[in-house]
This record gives sequence, C-alpha cells and structure tokens, in this order.
Amino acid sequence: MRSEVGSARTILKLRVLPLLFLVPAVTILAASSAAGSEESYRSALLEEAFRAELHRDPYWHTLLHYKKGTFGGRSLVDDPDFFLAENGKREPKAEMEATIRSLFMPAADGERHPVCRFPARFEWLKERLSIDESRLPVPACAPFEELMERIRPESVTLIFPTSYMNSPASMYGHTLLTVRTAYASDLLSYAINYSAITDETFGLFYIAKGLLGLYEGYFSILPYYAKLQEYRDVNDRDIWEYSLNLDGDEVRRLLLHMYELQDIYSDYFFFSENCSYNLLFLLDAARPGLRLTDECAWWVIPLDTIREIKKAGLIGEIVYRPSKSTRVKHLASSLPPDRRKDALEIARGALEPDRFAAQEFPADEKIRTVDLAAEYLQYQYSKKELPKEQYVGRFLGALEARSSLGEAEEPRDSIPPPGRPDEGHRSNRIAAGFGFVEDRPFQEIRLRPAYHALIDNASGYKRGSQIVFLDAAIRYRMLDRKLELESIDLIDIVSIAPRDAFFKPVSWKVKTDLFRRRLENGGEHLVYRLNPGFGRAYENRVLGLWYLMLETDLHVGGALERSWSVGAGGSTGLFKDATGWWNLHLFAKDLYHRLGDRDNLFSAGLEQNFRIGADTSVSLEVLVNSLHDEAVLESAARWNVFF
Amino acid sequence: MRKIGIWTAVACCVLAVAGESYAGRSNTGCGIGTIIFEGKEGLLSQICAATFNGSFGNQTFGITSGTLECERASALVAHEKLNKFVGDNMDNLAMDISQGKGEYLATLAVLLDVPVEERAELYKRLQANFSSIYPSEDVTHIDVLNNIESVLSAI
Repeated sequence: MRSEVGSARTILKLRVLPLLFLVPAVTILAASSAAGSEESYRSALLEEAFRAELHRDPYWHTLLHYKKGTFGGRSLVDDPDFFLAENGKREPKAEMEATIRSLFMPAADGERHPVCRFPARFEWLKERLSIDESRLPVPACAPFEELMERIRPESVTLIFPTSYMNSPASMYGHTLLTVRTAYASDLLSYAINYSAITDETFGLFYIAKGLLGLYEGYFSILPYYAKLQEYRDVNDRDIWEYSLNLDGDEVRRLLLHMYELQDIYSDYFFFSENCSYNLLFLLDAARPGLRLTDECAWWVIPLDTIREIKKAGLIGEIVYRPSKSTRVKHLASSLPPDRRKDALEIARGALEPDRFAAQEFPADEKIRTVDLAAEYLQYQYSKKELPKEQYVGRFLGALEARSSLGEAEEPRDSIPPPGRPDEGHRSNRIAAGFGFVEDRPFQEIRLRPAYHALIDNASGYKRGSQIVFLDAAIRYRMLDRKLELESIDLIDIVSIAPRDAFFKPVSWKVKTDLFRRRLENGGEHLVYRLNPGFGRAYENRVLGLWYLMLETDLHVGGALERSWSVGAGGSTGLFKDATGWWNLHLFAKDLYHRLGDRDNLFSAGLEQNFRIGADTSVSLEVLVNSLHDEAVLESAARWNVFF
Repeated sequence: MRKIGIWTAVACCVLAVAGESYAGRSNTGCGIGTIIFEGKEGLLSQICAATFNGSFGNQTFGITSGTLECERASALVAHEKLNKFVGDNMDNLAMDISQGKGEYLATLAVLLDVPVEERAELYKRLQANFSSIYPSEDVTHIDVLNNIESVLSAI
C-alpha cells in the first residue's frame, strides 16, 4: 500500500512534467489545474483534520484497534496490510494523514481503492470533515453498497454457545454475532465469527501457542445454520441468543468495519485477545461512544463480555436454543418409563416404529416417543456412536412413522429455559473466612480469578461442573501469629455427568495445585500435587448426584523424605442442590501412597453453600484429614463475594 | 483457508440466500459453486465450494446431499439458495417435515416464497407425503427437492 501512495505522487509529478516540455497549452492548463485543485483540497482536508485533532478522537482509535499499553500505545491489529502509514500501528496521526492522502489516489483496475479497503474510516472522515465526495477520484465503495443491497441487514444478535465439557478450550464458552436480514428466517442470517486459524491437532502445542499469541485470528462469515450445526448439533452445546438494539445506521457501521477487517489478522491470545474480545471492536465501531474494548482486562471471559454489553444497554430480547441432549432429556422426562424404553428400542432397531405407531397409546404419548427416538438417533450419530448405514434407515423409519401421527400438542421447542448465563454469579471470587484446625483458630482470605466451583450456586452454569483457575488461599494462624500461603489451585476441573438409559458419559477430574501437607515430624510444608481421576456418576431424584472415581495422586516437594510420592485410590461423593439457595456436597476420598514416601491419605467432609444474593454466598465446611494415622478435624466458614 | 476473504464467503452466502431481486442470476441452474460467479473471479467459486461443502456438514448429516445433475434440474433444484439450504440441512429438515412444523420447515417455506397464510397447509401436505419425499435410504437432496416439487404440483 505504501508503494501505492508513492505511485500516486509519481503520477502527479508526471502530470506536471509536460510543463517543462512546452506541450500544447490547453493540456497543460487542464492537467495542472485539476492536479492543483485536487492537491489544494487534500491539503485543506489534512489541515482541518489536524486542526480538529481528529487523530485523538476515540472513534478513530476504535477503528484502528488502538490501545494504550505498558509500552506505549499500539494497534492490536498485527497485519501490516491494515495500515497505510509505515508507522501506522503505533501512530494514529500518521495513519490518519496517510488515510486522507490515499483517498486521492486515482482509481486503478484490479486493486482495491482505499475507499473500499477502509470504508468505515472513509465514511467517518467524510462526515467529520464534510468531504465533498464528488471531488474524489473514487467517490464511494460501490462493492460495499451492492453488498448491503443484497444482504439487506436488519439487526444484530450476540450468540453465546455455552460451555462444552469435553474440550478444555471451549469451557468458557464462545461468542459470535449474527446479522439478521430481510429474510424472515434466523437460520439464514449471517454468523460473524472470529477465530484462530490453525491445523494444530496436538493439544499441548495448541494450548501453548494459543497462550503465546502464535496463531493469527481472522473473522469469517457463514450461514447461521452452519454454526448451529457445529455448536448445537455436533458439540451439543445449549445456545443463548441476545438481540442487540442497534439501529440501521449502527448495523451499517458494524458492517463497514467488518468489511475493513476482511483478510486482516490479529495475533490470537486465548485469554485476552480472543474471540469475544475482538467482537467488541465491531460493537464499538457500530455505536460511536461505546468503549467496550476498554472495559476488559488482561483476562477476557466470553460471559463477562456479555455482561459488559448488557451494562452498556445493548441487549434486547433473549432466546434459548436447547442442544440435542437437552431436548432428549426433556422429552424423556415427559414420558412414562415404558415409553422411554420403547423409544430406546426404536433407536436400537429392535422395535419397528410403524408397529409402535399402530399401538393403542394416547396420540400425544406416541408422538413424543417417536420424536424422542429420532432426536436420540441424531444425537448418537453426531457422537459417532452409530454408523451411518444403521442411522439413516432407523432415522427415516422413525420419521415416517412420525409423519403419520399428525401434529403434537406441545410445541417441540417449549423447553423451559434454565437460569440465564449472564445472570449467574460473576467470574471472580474473593472469600473471607475463619475456622479451626482442631482447636487452633485461623483467619483466611481466598482469591479466585475464574470461574465456577461445584459448590457455588449453579444457576447459569452447567450443573455438576467445576472450572477453577489460580484459587489462592492465605491463612493467618492466630495462636502462632503466622501468615502463610495455604494453597494455590493452578487448575481444578471437575465434570460430574450422570449416566442414564440414554447417555453414558465418563465423569472426570483433574486437579493440580500447591498445598500444605502435614509431614511425619509434625511440621507442614508446601507440596506440589497432581491428582487426576475418572469414574461414573448417577442421578437420584431424592439423594442427588452421586459419583465414584478412581484417582491417582502425585506429590513432589523437597520437604518430603524422598522428595516425592505416588499413590492411587478412589473417591465418592454426593452432590445435591437442595433448594435454589442451598447446595451440599458430601464426600470421602482414600489414597494409598506406595511409591516414594509411603502413607495413607484419607479425607472426608461436608461442604455447604448458601446463596445470599446473585453475587454473594456463605459457605460452611467441615472435614477430616487423616495422615500418618492421625486424623485432624478442620472447620471453616467463609463469606464469598463474586465480582 | 488462511487469507481467504470473508467477503467472498459473504458473497457466497449472499448469492446462496439472495433476495428475489437477484433471481435472474441465482437461477442459473446447475453447479452451485461454479456457475454463481459466471466467470467473474474464478477463485471465489472455489472458496465457496470449500467453505460450504468442505468445512462443515458431512459430520452431521446422515442423509446424503446429492451432486447436481443438469439434466435432472427441476425448477426447485435450479433455485440456488433453496438447493443450498436443503443440501446443507438434510436431517433437520426431514425431522421438521415429519413433525409438520419447525424452524427448518419455516425456512423452506420462506425460500419457496409461500405466503404466511398458506404455510399451515404446506406443512400439512409435506408431512402427509413424507414417505414420497423420502422414499428410501439413498435419497439425496436433489431427490428431495424434486419430490417436494411433485408433491406441490400435484395439488
């Protein structure tokens, strides 16, 4: 692009050159006056832009993705093609000058003119400087206008596919935008998605590179139905749709900026400059005055961006789209056990759907049974639990039977929405507490930047799931007058997923932390621990969710006699959300360390959590820790605030 | 798929889902990806093909999306955006037709340009004729479109 600015200058020089050779006077006058007036207009615009200090305008910084950082300001866009000035990434003023100059470049074939490469910048400058476009070589971006005419965009919706426990990268959820068009179908709207481009299949490299910003992120557009297939049908994620109240001009500005960002990359960082953060630039560009990209810290959780967008007053109607497994569960729960069995038999190919449909059950019961079978077949096929040949035959068979049964009483999508994610507790937690180890009192402060613990109020979150990062606890032992780091959870993830006749998930956990381990000599010392496990969980209507897991346990620490120990064992527990405001978790765990330092580690306890408000709770905990054949009783009460 | 223009993808969507005002061009007949652009920027059509046929779908459908065969192209098959939509959403559309309602069926009605007040009748008719629209396991989306056309023209 810089070379193009150069060539524009060359052309101007060439136009003046004929003067020296005394070619016919008419040509000279025409050429020089045209060039002269263009040049004077350009100078006038530049002068006016500098006088008004437009390069300091927050909207200009939004369009450039320009942010002030510790090492001075810079644009978060890393693609050199996004800048017209050599130092455009760091100098908004230089970029403005280059942009205004570039508007006067002659129209060229095959190359996109800056008016079309940066239409949002162009429209804004045109408005702020009252540019007379008839005096520009390219007065407007025709391809963009054609596109608008064809799409006829009407509104924008923020889409939030909730978390997906099988994949750590998706646990925070994801956000994208859809643009609804004049077509009266949401399936046909355009989904705008920002994502890293990668062929990496090895998980560890994928995570490491993502953390270091070694991937390039691009925007992409697909029909929304394609995204629904991906997130709802294949990944089996519930989806929330938040309509945004952008008006026609705002939708246009959003698309103008989107147009500028085609083929432009920014380095992708999993935790900060990620999918959700980059979408915020589109919203900031849509509504001048919004500065959503300023609200986010170094750690961007998709759900938190939704809260920011809500706080900015952008959110209108909210719609819930259940995943396949949610639909299967809903249908199954509405049927008597015998019909559930029939649905499974149909899905297994053991019961002819036609024969079932001919039986003398109430019509609505038959309809729901066959619908359940068909939904479940689709689920199994998407999870590769069923080969295609078996699937298609059974699926079409079930649908054919279904088509003879007429209309259902209850609309299929009338599944009552669960608690809204944006209304769940916030992502950060600080806790203040006190308690006793035997009869020795302590006070404690805990800080956790993310995200949700099993015992926290689960409204808006996936029940039975826990994702905790960097939960740190500092204790003050009042008798010893000692302030000590008690523990830091680096990662503590738990997924307790109940099995039933339809679903057979594996429950699992992985915890890695530094914790204070009691030593043989009576002292205590920080030890590193890695403790993964897997097992099964079942749901009982009265008792709640109970689980059984096999676990391994590695401890490493200089204070241990042999610096390390490895053990294996198991854990079991019962989790119950007794009421909307009261959760209980009763558990026991026994680990036999036989390699390295030999020991038995047994613990059992009861945790309770009482919700006080959306972002406040009180938790009570009693537990017994047994090591070296000595049991120690510990109890604690904590006041939790989410922020 | 690295530096591939999102707007080429948009252009694909647009053409696949364009309004009736654009019908002249979108009803060009066979060959979704290749004919849409009619020699203008050949790369775009390849990208379309890659974007729409390659990157999603085959993992979710069981029912086959057929390839276009010009000699069999009936009016509905030649309707590019309808063709594309049905090809991309085979299983979900089949389920909606069997139930006589749903978002995929409603979208079909939109693309068929059926007036709102006539849609209930359309849904009923398609549901009642499910077995002639999906007569066998080998049915492709081209068959489905042709069969829908037969069902509707038999009125």
